[in-house]
Amino acid sequence: MNSNPYRIGSFAVFTTFIIIIFSTVLMPMVLFQPKPTDTRNNYNLESSAGDALRGRQIYVREGCFYCHSQFTRLQDRGYGPLVKAGDFVYEAPHVLGTARTGPDLTNEGGRFPSQWQKAHLIEPRAVKPGSIMPSFSYLSDRDMNDLVCYIQTLGNGRTVTAYVEAPDEYMPSTPSGQALLARRHVDTNSDAASNAGRGIFTQNCAACHGLEGWGNGPNSITLEKKPANFSRPFYKQYSDQMWFYRISEGVPGTRMPRFGETLTEEQRWYLVAYLKSLPQDKEVTINSLAQLNKITPTKLPVLTKQEWEPHSGGH
Amino acid sequence: MQSSFIDKFLSNEPGSASRNFLLSALWWSLWAMGAGLIAGIEFSAPDLIHNIPQLSMPHLRMWHVNGVAIGWLSMAYVGSIYYMVPSLCKNKLWSERLGNFTMWAWNIVMIGAFANLLNGNTEGREYAELPALLDYMVVIALITIAVNVYGTVATRNVKKLYVSLWYFLGSMFWFPLVYIIGQRTFVALPGLNDGIVGWFYGHNILGMWFTTMGVGMMYYLLPRLTKAPLYSHGLSMLGFWGIALFYAPTGTHHITQSPVPEWLKAIAIISSIFLFVPVITVLTNFFMTMKGKWGLVASDMTLRFAITSAGFYLITCMQGPFQATRWVNWYLHFSQWVVGHAHLALLGTFSFISTSAFYYVMPRLTGRDWYSMGLIRSHYWLKFLGFLLMMISLTIAGLIQAAGWAFGMPVDQWSLQIRPYWFLRAISGVMIVLGQFIFAYNVYKTLYGKQVETKKSASMEAIKA
Repeated sequence: MNSNPYRIGSFAVFTTFIIIIFSTVLMPMVLFQPKPTDTRNNYNLESSAGDALRGRQIYVREGCFYCHSQFTRLQDRGYGPLVKAGDFVYEAPHVLGTARTGPDLTNEGGRFPSQWQKAHLIEPRAVKPGSIMPSFSYLSDRDMNDLVCYIQTLGNGRTVTAYVEAPDEYMPSTPSGQALLARRHVDTNSDAASNAGRGIFTQNCAACHGLEGWGNGPNSITLEKKPANFSRPFYKQYSDQMWFYRISEGVPGTRMPRFGETLTEEQRWYLVAYLKSLPQDKEVTINSLAQLNKITPTKLPVLTKQEWEPHSGGH
Repeated sequence: MQSSFIDKFLSNEPGSASRNFLLSALWWSLWAMGAGLIAGIEFSAPDLIHNIPQLSMPHLRMWHVNGVAIGWLSMAYVGSIYYMVPSLCKNKLWSERLGNFTMWAWNIVMIGAFANLLNGNTEGREYAELPALLDYMVVIALITIAVNVYGTVATRNVKKLYVSLWYFLGSMFWFPLVYIIGQRTFVALPGLNDGIVGWFYGHNILGMWFTTMGVGMMYYLLPRLTKAPLYSHGLSMLGFWGIALFYAPTGTHHITQSPVPEWLKAIAIISSIFLFVPVITVLTNFFMTMKGKWGLVASDMTLRFAITSAGFYLITCMQGPFQATRWVNWYLHFSQWVVGHAHLALLGTFSFISTSAFYYVMPRLTGRDWYSMGLIRSHYWLKFLGFLLMMISLTIAGLIQAAGWAFGMPVDQWSLQIRPYWFLRAISGVMIVLGQFIFAYNVYKTLYGKQVETKKSASMEAIKA
């Protein structure tokens, strides 16, 4: 019976491996079957210009997916709406991608004219100086048209209806956005919250944005990128989440900091309540030095040692 | 006449399959690493080569990855175990003719891969780019190797199986299965399921083939080179079962931020963290075996390659579980850091251990001494320093990229900032490929130069004994 001492070992290797195949290959096949969504790429829309599905094959053949991913993540700001699991049902082989040596292409369709895309494929550096993308000038006319047609198709199911919208991470369409709303107990439409926010604004924001929020704080004189003027009617479009996002993550490329690092969520919601009250029907234009808030340099009284160090034991 | 033709192409000479596999591996490594070098240079000089589709960076990349993984590393592995398994079983390879048949089949696969991938004839699945016909041939080759290895072990002249054999036998059982599942030749899965299976394969070609075979080879080489007994057989078994249990489900950690099921991500991430257990066990075993023998690294180049490999294995496996966690992945994913990590595993760890095995096995198969120790040393230093430069430059480039994505910087801004690191990477590529050519020259001079054969009969006796 015990002629082969390795019987148990080989049986264990076999069983282990079968269990793993079952749990990570077969189970996902059975349990994970997302329904196709309307936000998926529609390959029949641009049919007059070329064959988008054939363009997809060119995309795969030329290995575009090695440097360009095709799924937006929560933290990818400015790359369009998030993808859903159902968007990928007809996408085989998958072109999710693993590295982003170039930009994400999930919602690339319609961002540039087709002629630009074509010129970019033929000689990338002619239209995008400094790019390291290879030239695909060897593609035939038909291949090129189909590929451009495919690129223009990407994300055509994910239409954006609002001009100003916070990233999905903050919106009720995602679990993180729902959690954010669930934690919020500040009524951003109330005068009380707005008043509370005013104090926070004066402490943290007024030095640049000005006491009235017209972008005319004393600090604004030295800033190359001038602070936002909240009296602009434009800001009426801002949703609560958009205000909250801007306060939390700042504005890259400007001196606007990420207040998510220093203010609590509650404080930021109070700020939102105050900021919402600032946009006016007509912008208060700030275009001269005279309109800036000024600080009158005050002479501080000379403090006695007892006053600035109360525990020094003078009493 | 007939028999001499068969003897020439399907030789029955002991050790010939092993030698032919190793030499083929070296041959394909030059082509595949060379392609990697050209692709690397194109990152710094994108207009250097114009209008030649075969030399366009994505096509070179397909061939580079497949040529290095399936050509260089896999063939070197098979060549090494064709020597190591018989020597551990104290008998001859089950069928030398079958071994040589596999060698031809595999070389034909590589010729097909070269011709297809450089022309963009790809299935478009990362690490599984080979067209369907070549997939079938790889599977046939893997099965014949498995038959040969299992046959050799079944007819062994020792009672107990050394831990290396556990690794080799395990790999020869599960890797053909992983390969068949991973190719997805007969099925068109919906996009995300395709991605899940794709990364099951993409990670397990590493976990169930390169790692298990490479670790098995290290278990073979270290005690032999140091002439010290393995520190602990209990630990080696713990390491084996740890890898067998925790490695296979980790694939989904490559797509943790895509909309695949959360439970699958959780399985993958937890398994990835559990991988610390086998890795620390295996490396404890290696480094404790080296105790008191570290001085040998200075003079024994074969051992130095093996120990460098173990060192890089430590770094690679410390990076891996951290990268798999959600927070680190959130920051680092999509960046060149990951490319650096992949090179750390395949070039730093497994290419070094293959090279060590090559330097160990080849003289014992042919009975010829190495033509030049100086060339071995230059090979080591070019490859070691070249690799360090590549690793550091890719890691820095990756951190810059990751910061760019995390803080919403435009791609065309951070992509300008990493140009110096592309340049350094190209230089590192020149060093590594130069090292590999020096290696090939040394092998050529050793095998085909003028030299009196002295040890052949003795070493072949040792194999048979």
